[in-house]
Amino acid sequence: MPEAAPFAYEGLDRVIHERARLGLLTSLAAHPKGLVFADLRRLCGLTDGNLSRHLAVLQSAGLVEVTKGFAKNRPQTLCRITREGRQRFLDYLAVLDGVVRDAAAAAKTTPGENPVPGLATA
Amino acid sequence: MSELDRALAQIGVIREQIARESRFHGLGPTAFAATGLLALMAAIGQALWLPAPSRHPGIFLGLWIGVAAVSAGVIGLEMIARSRRLHSDLADEMIGAAISQFLPSAAAGALITLTLIRFAPASLWMAPGLWQICFSLGVFASSRFLPRAMPLVGVWYLASGLATLSIAQGPFAFSPWSMGIGYGVGQGLVCGILRFMEPSDA
Repeated sequence: MPEAAPFAYEGLDRVIHERARLGLLTSLAAHPKGLVFADLRRLCGLTDGNLSRHLAVLQSAGLVEVTKGFAKNRPQTLCRITREGRQRFLDYLAVLDGVVRDAAAAAKTTPGENPVPGLATA
Repeated sequence: MSELDRALAQIGVIREQIARESRFHGLGPTAFAATGLLALMAAIGQALWLPAPSRHPGIFLGLWIGVAAVSAGVIGLEMIARSRRLHSDLADEMIGAAISQFLPSAAAGALITLTLIRFAPASLWMAPGLWQICFSLGVFASSRFLPRAMPLVGVWYLASGLATLSIAQGPFAFSPWSMGIGYGVGQGLVCGILRFMEPSDA
């Protein structure tokens, strides 16, 4: 398939390929022991509702696990990336890296044209 | 820098962040066992063929710098091979992170040696102890990403470095055992930790 359709980029996982969820997975991948809900909300600049919604999508896809518990007698929600989530995120990054490299190569062969619609050239 | 270059750089930063927070499985017990044995063999060789090392500090330094270079090569080759196998997606970033954690202390050890040779040759007897102290700092700096017991290795190297500074002077300066025991036991300790406390296929 890759040779027949080199620009299919099937590895661009739709669950991950969304700005807020990409930010969430990046934060969680860099903190393998997990982040509490409030820290994750601050790091990603999301509202409580948006964060809950995106976490639910990631959780149902098996990329993230959410644990409710107590710390110092206060309720605490801990979010962690799963092993599968980490691997899928790394796979996604590899494909994304390939997409940008392909675009950079195309930009060199057609100078002056924007190789990726929606992505501004310098 | 174009937007595309910036995007590539950002992807690289994300991968480096993940690599920095991941447990490193690139160190294998075989290389450490081999380098520990090499240190012991070098010490035995020095004891046999260099009976008065204080008169030939250059040979002593050459021998142990050579042992360090061979050891770094052996450990480095195994690290690259294991990382490619166990960290396939992040191998380069993990190797880069591991080297960047250890490099400052290794560089400090090398610069201390050069400084002693150039400006204070009478104090060269301190080099073996200082090398081991620098090595211990490198182990401490890296141990966050290594098996839990790894700080013990740092403690060993720190203790053996301090003991070497205290004992290996005067008539005992440049003693083969000042290096042979420190590195032989230390590398053996790393080998044991990696062999018995680290999952083999992570």
